[in-house]
Amino acid sequence: MGHTLQILILGLCLGGVYALMACGLSLVFGVMRIVNLAHPSLIIAGAFISYWCFTLFGIDPILSLPISAAILFVIGLILYKLVFEKEARSAKYSEMTVLLTFAVAMVVDGALGAMFSNTQRVTSPDYATDAFFFGTIFLPKGQLYAGLISIAIIIGLVAFLRYTRLGYAIRATSQNRAAAELLGVNVNFVSLISFGIGVGLAGAAGSLVSFVFSFFPAKHWEWIAILMSLVVLGGMGSVQGTVIGAFLLAVISAFVGAYAGATWSTMTFFVALFVILLVRPQGLFGEKPEHV
Amino acid sequence: MSDTSTQNPDAVADVLSAREAYNAGLARSGARGRSWTVAAIVLILLIALPALQFVGNYNYALHMALYTLMYVAMASSWNILGGYTGYVSLGHNVFFCIGGYVSGMILAKMGVSTLITAPLAGLVAAAVGVGVGTITLRMRGPTFIISSIALLMIVRILFDNWGYVGGANGVTLPVTDLDVRWAKIPYYYAMLVIALLAVVASYRIKHSKFGLGLRAISQDEVKAESAGIDTATYKVAAFAVSAFFVGMTGAIWGEYLTYLRPNIFLIILVAAYMVLMCIIGGKGTVTGPIVGAILIVAFNEFFAATLGASEINILATGLIMVLVLLYFPLGVVGTLAQKGRLPRFLDWD
Repeated sequence: MGHTLQILILGLCLGGVYALMACGLSLVFGVMRIVNLAHPSLIIAGAFISYWCFTLFGIDPILSLPISAAILFVIGLILYKLVFEKEARSAKYSEMTVLLTFAVAMVVDGALGAMFSNTQRVTSPDYATDAFFFGTIFLPKGQLYAGLISIAIIIGLVAFLRYTRLGYAIRATSQNRAAAELLGVNVNFVSLISFGIGVGLAGAAGSLVSFVFSFFPAKHWEWIAILMSLVVLGGMGSVQGTVIGAFLLAVISAFVGAYAGATWSTMTFFVALFVILLVRPQGLFGEKPEHV
Repeated sequence: MSDTSTQNPDAVADVLSAREAYNAGLARSGARGRSWTVAAIVLILLIALPALQFVGNYNYALHMALYTLMYVAMASSWNILGGYTGYVSLGHNVFFCIGGYVSGMILAKMGVSTLITAPLAGLVAAAVGVGVGTITLRMRGPTFIISSIALLMIVRILFDNWGYVGGANGVTLPVTDLDVRWAKIPYYYAMLVIALLAVVASYRIKHSKFGLGLRAISQDEVKAESAGIDTATYKVAAFAVSAFFVGMTGAIWGEYLTYLRPNIFLIILVAAYMVLMCIIGGKGTVTGPIVGAILIVAFNEFFAATLGASEINILATGLIMVLVLLYFPLGVVGTLAQKGRLPRFLDWD
């Protein structure tokens, strides 16, 4: 029983981090129908910002989170202006953008690899290796803090989407782009801002990732399939669905990892992605999309 | 009439320019035939290339030719699925890997050269392609692309942890006992034959009813289906043909390198090259992948010689891909054809 509870707790902590990693991806897909394959590589960019803040200036990764989120937000705006705004008129937009973001991911991967080399790194503030103990059960502080911060950020995001005018506009664009435009929403501006927010969330997630996982520039290829599985499970474009998907799969993979070995715990996500795409491509909570 | 043009001038202009381009294309292919001479000369030169070994050591040139031919074969077969049918696969090197391991393991356990077992490797890859394709080709557009990446990740984990084939460390294959001067030649000719077969297959498919069906699927799958095309079978067949040639190249490449390891075959860069070569040369054209393969291999070699590091190589490949997709989406052959300036020896569409 204690063992099961232990695995469940570890799974839930990781689930929070996964949720934050994936919800930017989900937001961008919802608003622009862009499957941003570059998202995980930008998470790694965020992780590097926190890593260097910690190594060079001793700034705690949790404190440097706003810095990397802000930097990545600006990078997101620039990327959108340079690459995706132009494509928005093309007929095969979402397929084209998959290739474009794939190429952007290679650029980010190559640039980070060339600058910092492909060695495993991890930020190690004291709490990253510490834990709270409750009898036989332990709660690793690093993962707990990361999970809690992720949930706080996601609650902030959901509140922003629900209670601000810009949030209304983003949700309207996400539901029906043409209708939103008809009602006077500046769709292009909304796309720009939500792409920025999506990438900014990648930066925030990166700061947490920097002490929860070890990372290296080429690691994002593995993460893209993991994150896609969460987004697809929750229903593409729905932030709440993504969060539920993240907790669900993180817990399942924690159990698979505990009983079958760490290799197969990563495999859970890939197989889940495959199965969901086949059985229920709209995800658990999504509505049937016009084109799958 | 004037109503439609004021309502949507862009769409009308698009239709008009497409019709003009189509008519111009018809007029062009009517006016001149295929350029068999250039194709024959290129083929004869390629067959004669190993004769250089009689006068000196040109192993490097042979290696580059072999490497280019490999990518010509892979890009051409990717083009059958990604170009004609419009299903972009970013995990196509899975079949490269399967081909390499099937033939490589036969060589390692029974000592039969991959030169003999390559067709078998291709068939196994095609069979896996049928299995995978039946499942994944039900998805469309971005969803299919994501599933192809997931497939790559799954296969990578399987091969990294499969003890029988050496896991992540791979298997060492016996080295050929030919003199170093002649060692590359069998593999060179094998690659030449595979590349030739792949290009011919690509050409024949494009000019068949099967190819017409595939192109209809890439235009509009629902309409294609309602026009009586058995889209499911067509797509799976295209996937299998495409996997077959990629599997054969994998078989030869494994023995040529003398070892098999998941990180030779299953890295994302190999998949990206196939896609990039087709796009830069001209997606959906017969000669596009050939032009693309030559350009990318030459460019890579230049980069490796001047800048070295493979990270820079990834960066540069990504950058070129972004630029090509944004500003040059039709590729070399496509753009030239659109302008009516395509030289005759590249016009096999």
